Amino acid sequence: MSKDDESTISEVTKGLTPVDPKALEDFEREMNEQVIPEIKAVVEERRVRAAESRQLQLKYLTTHSSVLRSLS
Amino acid sequence: MYTWIPLHSAADLGQLEKHVSPEYGPKRVAKTLADGLSSAVKAVLIERNYIDKDYRSTYYNFYSKKGQHYRADCVRLHFFDGTITFDEKALAFACPDNRLTDHYFGYMVLRPTGIATIGRTVLSPDIRSGASRFIITANHKVHLLGYKLMVQGFPSMDQHIDISVCAHTACWSVLRHYSERYNVYREFLTHDITMMAQEFDPGGLVPSKGLQMSHAERVFQQAGTFPVHIARVTSTATDPAFYRQLSAYIESGFPLFAAMHKRGHAVAVVGYQWRVPITTAVPGMRYAWDEVESLAVVDDNYLPYFSIPAKPAPTGTGYSAEDIDAFIVALPEKVFYPADAVDRLAPALFKLGSIVGLPPKEETIIRYFITTGSALRRFVRDKASEFDPMLMSKIMTIPFAQFVWIVEFATEKQWAVGQVEARAVIDATASLLEIMPLWLLHSRTDALIFDRQRVGSDLSAGMGGLKLANTGHSGFTRMDQNLRPTQTK
Repeated sequence: MSKDDESTISEVTKGLTPVDPKALEDFEREMNEQVIPEIKAVVEERRVRAAESRQLQLKYLTTHSSVLRSLS
Repeated sequence: MYTWIPLHSAADLGQLEKHVSPEYGPKRVAKTLADGLSSAVKAVLIERNYIDKDYRSTYYNFYSKKGQHYRADCVRLHFFDGTITFDEKALAFACPDNRLTDHYFGYMVLRPTGIATIGRTVLSPDIRSGASRFIITANHKVHLLGYKLMVQGFPSMDQHIDISVCAHTACWSVLRHYSERYNVYREFLTHDITMMAQEFDPGGLVPSKGLQMSHAERVFQQAGTFPVHIARVTSTATDPAFYRQLSAYIESGFPLFAAMHKRGHAVAVVGYQWRVPITTAVPGMRYAWDEVESLAVVDDNYLPYFSIPAKPAPTGTGYSAEDIDAFIVALPEKVFYPADAVDRLAPALFKLGSIVGLPPKEETIIRYFITTGSALRRFVRDKASEFDPMLMSKIMTIPFAQFVWIVEFATEKQWAVGQVEARAVIDATASLLEIMPLWLLHSRTDALIFDRQRVGSDLSAGMGGLKLANTGHSGFTRMDQNLRPTQTK
């Protein structure tokens, strides 16, 4: 890593106040115990449902009869 | 070759039958236009012998091979308001303010196929009766008699029936929008779409047998996009998260290929309308989808921007958003963090409320969408007076990835006036398993800024807080950038 890169990194949090780790505990616990497991589960469920729906046929021809009627 | 028809009422559209030969289906076209256009359209110019690239692609590959003789040329109809006049001898328009484009509402190509004759069409949502409030549009150039015109709209056409069906048409609409809107995508013609759907040349009438979702995915993949296929889960009755992300992608400016398997139908979803803001008696966190009244779809059975209700109408015979059970969003590369993850992360951010000052969870409406880091900076620059200069400086220098998810938090009162209390900026390239996939979370009083240039550091070490100066407003302006507000005429 060059010195330029290091200065870019420090720029992001430069002038900011530190955050009390205790204030983050609730959030971290919720992410670890609830949110991330839920995300993993729903992403897998979507994958399975998408795989099932991939083969379903889409074909809708309702205009056909109305068009023919309008020509007659 | 050119005929000008002034319209005093919708009934005057019946004159199309006199001026356009039957193979272009003028009777049905006139009825479709009379049913779907507003009275702001005061004149139609008929342009004959028009060479339409989309029709020609099907003519060369299908119609010219048939025993019945089909013409090679099309008719194009152009729509104008009442301030324009046309000199048929000089073939010139007279426009009081010399801004012809401002009085032009778009065009419709008619194919000489006898049935399903409405070809490539781009109409302004402003003249579509009942069009939704917000529509995804692109600028479409039109060359007519030496004039260069422009119309903002979304492409549509009838399905051909014999060589393409609704699903091909929905793919074509989305991809034609992409080629007009983003210069990284090339243009694909109607016949290209039928070819792209299969691994081999389907030939003849095979495309009319219909498409599967996998074929539509293949079309979008072949076009250079990165399609994401989302299907509704059946383990819950309604799967609200499915609809929340559907609306999030629309909000992001991505038109959707939407499937209704019970109907065997596919449409492109291109816009929405919010319901009139309400004050709820029972508090509870809501999402932008809960405020959607209707969706705008491009359905090959209707003129574009057909409005369908979010919930089934008690007496309606048509379909509603609840009939949509799968959709494909053709994303650019580098959107790795899925909408499902944003949907679950957003409410968890209230756990940081004590640091940032979010509104009470039970009184909040959440809206999320994708944008680019550049668009976010442009928006903030445009609304500079709303931001603490220190926060603005941080937003300008945070090394965002190209795409970011934005989550906006608004109270009911703020929602009603287009404001938000707080905003989170999530890295669209984040991993599913990240505890803190954010670049920024800020309200009117505080901000948390995250250093995503460090991997694996503990949470508090990679972030910092910022106390914000009071800029004297009651909420930040909601970030509405991707859809065009319809100005009904």
